[in-house]
Amino acid sequence: MHFHGVHVAAMDGAEPIQPGATFVYEFDAEPFGLHLYHCHVLPLAAHIAKGLYGTFIIDPKEGYKNKADKELIMVMAGFDIDFNGENDIYQVNTIPFHYDKHPIKIKQNELVRVFLVNILEYDMINSFHMHGNFFHYYPTGTNLTPSEFTDTIIQGQGQRGILEFRYKFPGNYLFHAHKTEFAELGWVGQFEVEAQ
Amino acid sequence: MEGTIPQPIEPASKRPAPKSAFGKTLLQLALPVLLLAGVIFLFLRTNGAGLKVEPAAPIEAVQFDRVMLTPNKIELQLTNTSPQDITLSQIVVNDSFWAFDAAPSRTIPRLGKATITLAYPWVEGEAYGLRMFTSSAVAFDYAIDVATETKSADTSTLLSFTLIGLYVGLIPVLLGMLWLPVLRSMSQQWVTFFTAVTIGLLIFLGIDATSEALEQATALGGAFQGVGIVGIGIVATFMLLNALSRRQEKLTGTGSSRRLSLALMVALSIGLHNFGEGLAIGASFAVGAAALGTFLVVGFIIQNITEGLAIVTPIVNDKPSLLRLALMGVLGGAPAIAGAWVGGLSYSLPASVLFLSIGAGAVFVVVYELLRMLQKDSAQNPMSLTLFSGVTAGMLVLWVTGLFIK
Repeated sequence: MHFHGVHVAAMDGAEPIQPGATFVYEFDAEPFGLHLYHCHVLPLAAHIAKGLYGTFIIDPKEGYKNKADKELIMVMAGFDIDFNGENDIYQVNTIPFHYDKHPIKIKQNELVRVFLVNILEYDMINSFHMHGNFFHYYPTGTNLTPSEFTDTIIQGQGQRGILEFRYKFPGNYLFHAHKTEFAELGWVGQFEVEAQ
Repeated sequence: MEGTIPQPIEPASKRPAPKSAFGKTLLQLALPVLLLAGVIFLFLRTNGAGLKVEPAAPIEAVQFDRVMLTPNKIELQLTNTSPQDITLSQIVVNDSFWAFDAAPSRTIPRLGKATITLAYPWVEGEAYGLRMFTSSAVAFDYAIDVATETKSADTSTLLSFTLIGLYVGLIPVLLGMLWLPVLRSMSQQWVTFFTAVTIGLLIFLGIDATSEALEQATALGGAFQGVGIVGIGIVATFMLLNALSRRQEKLTGTGSSRRLSLALMVALSIGLHNFGEGLAIGASFAVGAAALGTFLVVGFIIQNITEGLAIVTPIVNDKPSLLRLALMGVLGGAPAIAGAWVGGLSYSLPASVLFLSIGAGAVFVVVYELLRMLQKDSAQNPMSLTLFSGVTAGMLVLWVTGLFIK
């Protein structure tokens, strides 16, 4: 298991652990931010495409500037179901269309923090677009001041960042990849903003 | 020239012909060959004699012979069918460069073979694309559509291949022969009809085998001239069986024993055809492509029951012993077992093309013989409506039953 972060070579996880064997990864949690871990055994692309990855958060010692009312983790990825090296399905958090069919309930004016990670294999880029709102973006979560105020962000594989936003108006708002092909193949969801 | 007695000198016209005429013939035969050797020598010495013969890029070709999958291992056997040696330099598996071994060597001589071994953790049921680069950066692709472990020659594998052969070959052929008593109770008109049905069945099988052979021939490397193999297989088999049948005819006349030997020929040709069929099924079973399994086998049983009918139609008016009949059934059906073994355990594309062509040639010669028999045995015009409807019905039966298989 290969962790992104600052650590010694022996803890880098590029060496395979044989079936039944045990290995303990040990490292200091630094730098703070939003990070990634994934399998690094060959064939790498096939293993990542099949889902051998995850994300972990190292909170800043002094905490974030604003206290969030709701924190969400979103890992963007895809699945190649016919093994031809191209994705057939795109999604956030494993199940395509899930948040479209089961909108995420948030409250009007509450601070929402989204930890957004892209680990999509085979395709060059992925993106996140939010309807009816703008967000502050903290690339990799390693800085406490946002770099951008926008409604669309693009991430390559392994890129990640933290989004902070409040919805001004109640109602249902879509969020999806602004590579619209991906949206129609599953990477789409909704926020259901309840009036406060 | 030892032992030659000196002869008195005679005028040239009166000299005994043999020796000098032989020398003359030899010279006449050799002259064009000698001149040709001279032309080739000049052509090579002058580097193409004005023709620009150097290709812009090396012409390289390989033929993939067989892929074997065992846990964490992919083995690929291939033949170099290009005009010169090639050297394999890299292999990419599903867009990932992968280490490989090549035995006996990464450099493969023209028409030489090599076995490539990759330690790759392939997963059952998934698809893999292999791309090989030669040292001159020419790429060759091989697709494993559905990865499944290659069967090894253990008892259970042999048993399952035997069962496949039994189901698709022996059992349906023997069952089909059980129609003999019913045929006997029918009028001559109906027997003619069923002989025509047999002809239709065989024509269909022959066309099918030819097209299958041609299709496989395209997968053969250019140097193997697959279409040539198909032609040789069909024509040589046809001529040989035809010659044998003529000899038999001279020995046995045209009566009952002639019809019996015709039935034997039908059985033999169907046997050759079933060998090819077994080969194909065994090969696809071995690589997991016959995952359709039961459905395919059921289709073959339905289709091949008609082959039993074909064997017995020539001998409706004769009384061969049960043993003879059984032997004919075995001759027609059992080769499917041998075919399944060979196809499943040591599949070779050139051999498969050849066997399919032999099967086609055998089937065509029987069509020819049956037509002759019809012509002799009935006063009817051989292109009568009975013949037309029988042949068409026979072909349609196989087409319709084929819907279950293809």
